[in-house]
Amino acid sequence: MSDAPAIEFAGVSRWYGDTVAVADVSFAVGPGVTGLLGHNGAGKSTTLKLCAGFTSPSAGAVRIFGVEPRRNPAVYERVGVVPDQSPPWPFLTAQEVVELCARLHRVADPAAAADRALETVGLDDVAGRKVGGFSHGMRQRVKLAQALAHDPDLLLLDEPLNGLDPAQRREIIAVLHRLGDEGRTVIVSSHVLHEVERMAPQVLVLVSGHLVAEGQTSAIRQLISERPRTVRVAAGGDGRALAGALVDGGVVDAVRFDDGTMEFETGDVERFSRALPALARTTDTLVRRVEPVGDDLESVYAYLHERARGAGR
Amino acid sequence: MIVWPVYRLTLRALLLQRRTILLGLLAAAPVLMALVYAVAAKAGAHHFRFYSHLVQELFVPTIAAVVALVIGVSAIGDEREDGTIYYLVATPQSRLGLIATKIAAAWTATLVLLVPSLVISALLALEGEVDPSSILWPAAGVALATLAYCGVAAWLSLRTRRPIVIGVLYVLLWEGSIATFAASASKLSIAAYGRALVAERLPEAAAPVVGPAPAVVILAAVAAITCWLGARALARVEL
Repeated sequence: MSDAPAIEFAGVSRWYGDTVAVADVSFAVGPGVTGLLGHNGAGKSTTLKLCAGFTSPSAGAVRIFGVEPRRNPAVYERVGVVPDQSPPWPFLTAQEVVELCARLHRVADPAAAADRALETVGLDDVAGRKVGGFSHGMRQRVKLAQALAHDPDLLLLDEPLNGLDPAQRREIIAVLHRLGDEGRTVIVSSHVLHEVERMAPQVLVLVSGHLVAEGQTSAIRQLISERPRTVRVAAGGDGRALAGALVDGGVVDAVRFDDGTMEFETGDVERFSRALPALARTTDTLVRRVEPVGDDLESVYAYLHERARGAGR
Repeated sequence: MIVWPVYRLTLRALLLQRRTILLGLLAAAPVLMALVYAVAAKAGAHHFRFYSHLVQELFVPTIAAVVALVIGVSAIGDEREDGTIYYLVATPQSRLGLIATKIAAAWTATLVLLVPSLVISALLALEGEVDPSSILWPAAGVALATLAYCGVAAWLSLRTRRPIVIGVLYVLLWEGSIATFAASASKLSIAAYGRALVAERLPEAAAPVVGPAPAVVILAAVAAITCWLGARALARVEL
């Protein structure tokens, strides 16, 4: 059991009627912090629910430390879960919530464990206040504290930075880094790329339920930055001289003229941004406006999805 | 088997609900009826007959059934609704222990509302004729029937998104209508077995479906089986 990966997905699919939430996903995650990245509805929460044993796969197998969590509740002694959108019991104090969860995880001294966990998330000074009166950010930290109280080997966090201010985010990210450095396995979901970059050196990218990329976060970032881009340019005159120069120089792969503007497709946007002013000068073209097209996160995910399909995933 | 921190948490949650006040008012309805009877009863009125009708035709099959079902559903359904069930399920506690604890807490909350109502109703309706058995046998019937209802409610709250609708339909349509004129249908009525215990002391109501010993066994079996089914569902259904 101890040699098994903390989390292992083998051909896992989860569907609800006609809707496929997770499609034939396989991965294994070991110690360190791993980000689960994807837009809303990509299947991140379902994936985390499968990891946590809150739902069963329609096909395939999910194992935590080598066992199926739904059949082996004892494995939860090693697992901490921070669910999304589920604040703890509002009529309990923060101390009571964390102590209760520690007790249910069979911690020897639940009160001391709760004290430590609340101090870790910076809530020790309000431990005696009821959770119902807390801000969203404070409730997030109570959720994290209850997941940390029993010192788990595996931590599953669904959008843990939601509702936190920048200082609180920094503190929580530091806690996650420390846990990862200690050799624990931390899975953290987010739909914000730069947030995942700050939290996790490893990343799994989900798009429409498919695992479209996995590996070092920096490599995924590089992949994303190197993807083909479309740039729209509004120029004085018809701009054909400028377009011709860009094509002749191999700066762009294609150009499309559309109602007084040009859309260039390029595989190297940095080179394009350097070449454009120089070629505008040499072709005596007045450039009025330059703007990226489809540079939002959805487009990035769509690109990764297309790329994964092209690779036969 | 009982996870005491979860028992205390659930009992506290159930008794703090606004819904519990409404259920308390429903549970107090027999007290009001007994009070009206006590005030309006003429000399020579048959107090036992009134009390028997009150317990067998109102208290057990309607008041106790609805209160137990609603509280039993709340014990798990509310936590599924607001997501707090995740904090209980993501622990190494056995699923059977968690469900048994939920049923025990719901049963306790149900009895907190019903037992005072039953005792006060007896004292008012029977005036000077009260003896311990005229309270203990009805209390035993109510207690075991509500335990079975709480078990059914806990199981339903994991198997369906509309447990109260299904539970109330069972109480009103099956137990309240079909089982009253079809003798074989009453074999599948929790209330009928509860009434069988009540009938041990208040025999003037309808003939019991079974004797008291089989009624105890059947109601305990219903609670145990639904508890096991609930634990099975907790390990299988989407939370």
